[in-house]
Amino acid sequence: MRTRRARRASRIAKRIASHAVLILACLFAVFPIYFIAVTSFSTIPIAGITASILVPKPSELTLSSYDFVLFHYYPSFVSLLTNSLIFAGSAAAIGLLLAAFTGYALSKFNFPGRRTFVYFILLISLFPSFLLILPLYFTFKDLGLIDTYLGLIIPYSAGAVVFSGILVKNYMDSIPDDIEEAALIDGLGRTEAFFRVLLPLCYPILGLAAFLAFIGPYTDYAMANVFITSNNLWTLALGLYHLNSTDTGVQPYGLVTAFAIVMSLPIVVAYMVFQRYIIGGLTLGSVRG
Amino acid sequence: MTGIRLEHITKRFKTETAVDDVSVEIADGEFVVILGASGSGKSTLLRIIAGLEVQTDGHVYIGDMLVDDYEPRDRNIAMVFQSYALYPHLSAYDNIAFGLRVRRVPREDDPEKLRRRTREEIDQKVRAAAELLGITETLRKRPAELSGGQRQRVALARAIVRDPEAFLLDEPLSNLDAKIRSSARIELRRLHQQLKQTFVFVTHDQSEAMTLSDRLAVLNHGRLLQCDTPERILSHPANQYVASFVGSPEMVFLEGAVQATAGGSTFVHGPVRVPVRGAGKAGPVTLGVRPWDIHVQRTPAEGLLSARVTGIERLGSSDQLFLNILPGPTAAPGAGAGTGAAPAPVAVRALVRAYDFNVGDSVFVTADPDRALFFSADGTLLESMSLSSRLP
Amino acid sequence: MADLRDQTLGFRLRREWPAYIYLVPTTLVLLFLNAYPIAYTVYISLTNFGIGRNYFTYQYIGLTNYTYALTTGATTSLTLVENSFFWAGGCVALFLLVGLGLASVMNQDLRGKTIYRTVILLPWAFPAFITILVWANMWGYEYGIINAMLGTIGIHKVDWILGGADTAWVTLFVTNVWLSFPFYTVVFLATMQAIPKDLYEAASIDGAGTLSKFGRITLPYLMPTVVFVGLMGFLFTFNNFYPIYLITNGGPGIATQIFITESYSQAFGAVGSHPAYATAAVYSVLDFLIISALTMVVIWRTDLTRNWLK
Repeated sequence: MRTRRARRASRIAKRIASHAVLILACLFAVFPIYFIAVTSFSTIPIAGITASILVPKPSELTLSSYDFVLFHYYPSFVSLLTNSLIFAGSAAAIGLLLAAFTGYALSKFNFPGRRTFVYFILLISLFPSFLLILPLYFTFKDLGLIDTYLGLIIPYSAGAVVFSGILVKNYMDSIPDDIEEAALIDGLGRTEAFFRVLLPLCYPILGLAAFLAFIGPYTDYAMANVFITSNNLWTLALGLYHLNSTDTGVQPYGLVTAFAIVMSLPIVVAYMVFQRYIIGGLTLGSVRG
Repeated sequence: MTGIRLEHITKRFKTETAVDDVSVEIADGEFVVILGASGSGKSTLLRIIAGLEVQTDGHVYIGDMLVDDYEPRDRNIAMVFQSYALYPHLSAYDNIAFGLRVRRVPREDDPEKLRRRTREEIDQKVRAAAELLGITETLRKRPAELSGGQRQRVALARAIVRDPEAFLLDEPLSNLDAKIRSSARIELRRLHQQLKQTFVFVTHDQSEAMTLSDRLAVLNHGRLLQCDTPERILSHPANQYVASFVGSPEMVFLEGAVQATAGGSTFVHGPVRVPVRGAGKAGPVTLGVRPWDIHVQRTPAEGLLSARVTGIERLGSSDQLFLNILPGPTAAPGAGAGTGAAPAPVAVRALVRAYDFNVGDSVFVTADPDRALFFSADGTLLESMSLSSRLP
Repeated sequence: MADLRDQTLGFRLRREWPAYIYLVPTTLVLLFLNAYPIAYTVYISLTNFGIGRNYFTYQYIGLTNYTYALTTGATTSLTLVENSFFWAGGCVALFLLVGLGLASVMNQDLRGKTIYRTVILLPWAFPAFITILVWANMWGYEYGIINAMLGTIGIHKVDWILGGADTAWVTLFVTNVWLSFPFYTVVFLATMQAIPKDLYEAASIDGAGTLSKFGRITLPYLMPTVVFVGLMGFLFTFNNFYPIYLITNGGPGIATQIFITESYSQAFGAVGSHPAYATAAVYSVLDFLIISALTMVVIWRTDLTRNWLK
């Protein structure tokens, strides 16, 4: 039998160890972000980076990188942002619609061929999307869609369809059939019941589907790089990549990181605000199983 | 207000027949309860009436209208679901108003044309329904904020507010606490009397069925075994299944045989030997007696069987006694004749006034000859057969 | 409403036909944007289509490219197979290890749990493309902050990316763990928190200690989630493009090259003696075949699609 004191000591030791592990994890998690943040306020070029950059003197901090990125970069930040929002926003809207329809059909209908269809979309989604870029490029070139808004919105809209469709399906499965049936009895047709009852109940998962459909195009470099050539159609991702790859080591590294911060901000905020929904939505299939 | 007629309704699934050739006529304003164990097809039958499920064969008439090809919304019936199926994203008020908002009504000036109900019309109806069910205070709340009883009322209000042809209720009381459930029964019955509309109510709870129904339809394995008033079902069950399913505590069954004896026919089951009337030829039959038709006393008398109390279930105002009928002196002479060995005691149950007896008591029992029933080997009621009132 | 038990095809069609209408847009999109390009890729893998050469005059050459990849180019192909599996397997092992470890540490009554949770989630919230670009700079030999920090504690500069296969893999694994461990931690934590408390209470009464509670309650309860998340993670990481492409670009040599990055580089990068896009297509198809086979095994072994096909 251990004494009470020994038990108490071991409990305290366990608690200290736990905090130590978590603090280490937090340091690991936060370090690159801290690095991004701290360099974005400095004027030191990448060639001048030393460990001392991590503890800057308050007097050295400056907003000049933000000023450059937001107001003096070419193409203008506003134009990059607008393009990104157009591409990602349209793709999200289309992707959302497709996911909602797909999820509904798979969840609430038992149509002949359902199993085949699921295998079909699963198989298709396994093909690495980066490898579709070139065949699509040739096709879109023939259609005259290269270097147009439509030319990038179309391929983007398929990006998250399968994944989001299955997310929506899983969520709709959790809505009891009798809610829909109550709507039928109350005087709606099946289509109206879908739009007026089922869809409003799916808002949380639809939000997640839209978010996922948005974030892919918003941060896409590989496809935009091939499909877009004119500066006036450039997206934020292209701008950032360009800024990073043309860094010769003399301009302030803060330009890249300030850009990164500004570009990430909306996504980070969305993640933090909708954390619960996002995690819940993404784990629905696994935890329920 | 309309009746419902079901003609030879059959619903077959891949491997099973859920509803098997059911024909029922439900009169206008009648309260019919469909009673059955789970898997008996009772809910499927209700859903076929609603149009949520399509029958494989047969016809559904609402009023005089053949509605086989009608969508649920065109049948103008209301349904209360077991889970209540309230729209979780709408307040109680909006749940009740939902059907009113989506349905159009004929215009006063031109009945050919339809119009939406006005906000005032809807409000008036919702409030009237809420008033009737006593949920005026909770109209603003969402279903998640309501208690089980309140949800059930909102579901009822959603049904009555539409003034439908008929109400279909799928075990609407089964999710309520036992306490609320009995008051909800009374309230539902009152509601029916007030509305004077056709109610079809599905349940697996026989006591619920007994208290609520004008007529009771007993379903088993998709077949309609009997449809009659609760009293008739209790006194003249069509077969042994109905007899055992309806009535609580459950009927006592003794599987025995009719033997031809000098004085006529005798039912024999171990130490129990009782004369019967109207028996056909000798053969196996089952005697069924309701526990409350078995009389128990302490003093021996002519024709009574001797028994011992082996257990007591306290039911409140009455006790259910578990009895072993013994091969005793008052058993008819010749008990166990032919075998030489004494027959094993026979277990029966009797309902008696509370606290009159204790375990181990030696008692004497008899059955009410007019109320005992006989069933043939395949379970059907032998109407002509009864206990002879002449005691052995 | 799906009447799962219903019998005849005609009956089902009569009731369920609207489903097809809802699936039309998705089907069209997938056919046009996925199925057709996949078929196109398969076709190209059977030609000598190159980016710089044979641009408009390529021909059908049968299985020549595949034969090449499996004979003369077998060393490269084998390296790609090994690297792809090492990459996906190594990452998933680390994800599970870190995720389970942190989740079980967080799954106790600790002060400041919410703060830890929020901070740990940060890497996940930042778009991966952006943070990977910065990580690539952080691993830099001459000016990388990591070497700078190691310098302050007296460790000599390491050429992480080009110095050798070992250090290159380290950079990739560390970066990818950083990108993914928040998700795994939170998923496992959520699953752990869903374990009924009375199980632990019952185990305590039966005399179980912390470790045996973890082994006998937590782990079995977590298993379905671990398997599901792990397999999905494997399939995803197998084709996870950006970390390798942006940090090592497969280097040094092809020491960290996986199918997808090699394919992308062949298509958009240097053109050798062999038709580059055809080669890229071959690697794409091989990648696809491997991942499809893995998925089949996963579906077959774990009933993964139960939820999707229910």
